[in-house]
Amino acid sequence: MSEFEPNIVAFLCNWCSYAGADLTGTSRIHYPPNVKVIRVMCTGRMNPLFVVQALRQGADGVLISGCHPGECHYLKGNYLARRRFMLMRNLLGFIGINPLRLRMSWVSASEGKKFADVVTTVTEDIKKIGPQQSFTREAV
Amino acid sequence: MNIQKIRDEASRALGRKDVKYLIGYQKGSYGFRVSPAFFQTKEEVERLIFSPLCQVSLAPYLTLEEVVPLPGEEKQKASKVALLARGCDSRAINQILAEKGIPRDRLFIIGIPCEGVIDRRKIEARFPSVTEPAEVREENGKYIIAIGDQSHEVPKEELLADACKVCRYPNPLIYDKLTGDKVAPHQANYDDITSWEEKPLEERLQFWLDQFSRCIRCYACRNACPLCYSTVCILDRLDPQWVKRSNDTSENLMFHVSRAFHLAGRCVSCGECERACPMGIPLMKLNRKLEKDVNDLFSYEAGKDAESKSPMTTFHVEDREDFIL
Repeated sequence: MSEFEPNIVAFLCNWCSYAGADLTGTSRIHYPPNVKVIRVMCTGRMNPLFVVQALRQGADGVLISGCHPGECHYLKGNYLARRRFMLMRNLLGFIGINPLRLRMSWVSASEGKKFADVVTTVTEDIKKIGPQQSFTREAV
Repeated sequence: MNIQKIRDEASRALGRKDVKYLIGYQKGSYGFRVSPAFFQTKEEVERLIFSPLCQVSLAPYLTLEEVVPLPGEEKQKASKVALLARGCDSRAINQILAEKGIPRDRLFIIGIPCEGVIDRRKIEARFPSVTEPAEVREENGKYIIAIGDQSHEVPKEELLADACKVCRYPNPLIYDKLTGDKVAPHQANYDDITSWEEKPLEERLQFWLDQFSRCIRCYACRNACPLCYSTVCILDRLDPQWVKRSNDTSENLMFHVSRAFHLAGRCVSCGECERACPMGIPLMKLNRKLEKDVNDLFSYEAGKDAESKSPMTTFHVEDREDFIL
């Protein structure tokens, strides 16, 4: 059997991490092709329930990435997101979903290398945990 | 607890010109049942009761009243709703006021320090199939239970609701009139939460999937909750449809996670959701986990005063971020 290839949804903020991911590409840095990128205007726009929805609909892990604290385009979006996902991560752990399935990182527009590192770490961690199949939503 | 004092206070409140009606309790139709009741006139106050059986929170009724929009420049009549509020109810009211869910000048709160209420499941397990009306009063750490012409004594600890055992705010925090003497608060105890977190992940997940799969999605927990008063609840929305109506474990998990998360930093741990649940799902465990985290991480407690901002809408630059890559 071939190796398990995880399906990771990455929510990247428009102003930093999305541009950072773009830089990774233009700098020809290699990173695992397991991430599916969804661009959001800010990590503060993310409803924490997006994470549960993604995990239910076929994602094995979720990565959220935004601007470094203090550098948010909307001034405080990432601070609010930090609080929300801290709680969400704890709650998921409490009901037995491995907290490693929800990762968060700060990647600025100039950190192409860091983005590649983050994606590599997340992919390797999720390869170790295995697929998420215990509460997948039934196909319509 | 002196019922006559409460009735006096209630009829004084109903005597005020600006009070429209009072929300209290009356005898239920059978057994240990007690039902919430609305009192319009002073004469009706004879029906009013308050006993350890009064478990239902009255705070949800505040946000249920329909406010009909008036044409043009006409203003809503300035009228108040009076209600009996124990410690947990007063915290719920504080939280609703802090969220600007209802204006303070529409409320007349009669505060009652509360010694704890009886868990109906526990008392019904002990005295099964009681149909005649029963009465309970508290004396020296014991409940005196009168069923028909028989009288039983049961130690308080055996029947006390779980939420009341760890109640830190038995005395009302906001009130217009206070009746009765203040009660000593209990200690907060999160041992069950910390010991749960030491179990292996698979065991936790299996437990919760079993619990969630029993859920029949009656939404009684949502309707009984004093803080679930949004006019547009995500559970009712069809576009986007967050939770499908089909009753399967995945949808139920989504429902329970969203219900718990919407109460993060807002839950006043009155235990209403768990009481209302017909399937006996331990919902308070999720709420208490979030309550503990909000307290530990953001040092915030819901409903302590009517001005504080929710921890989910504020932040500190120094918040912990050890989970961030």
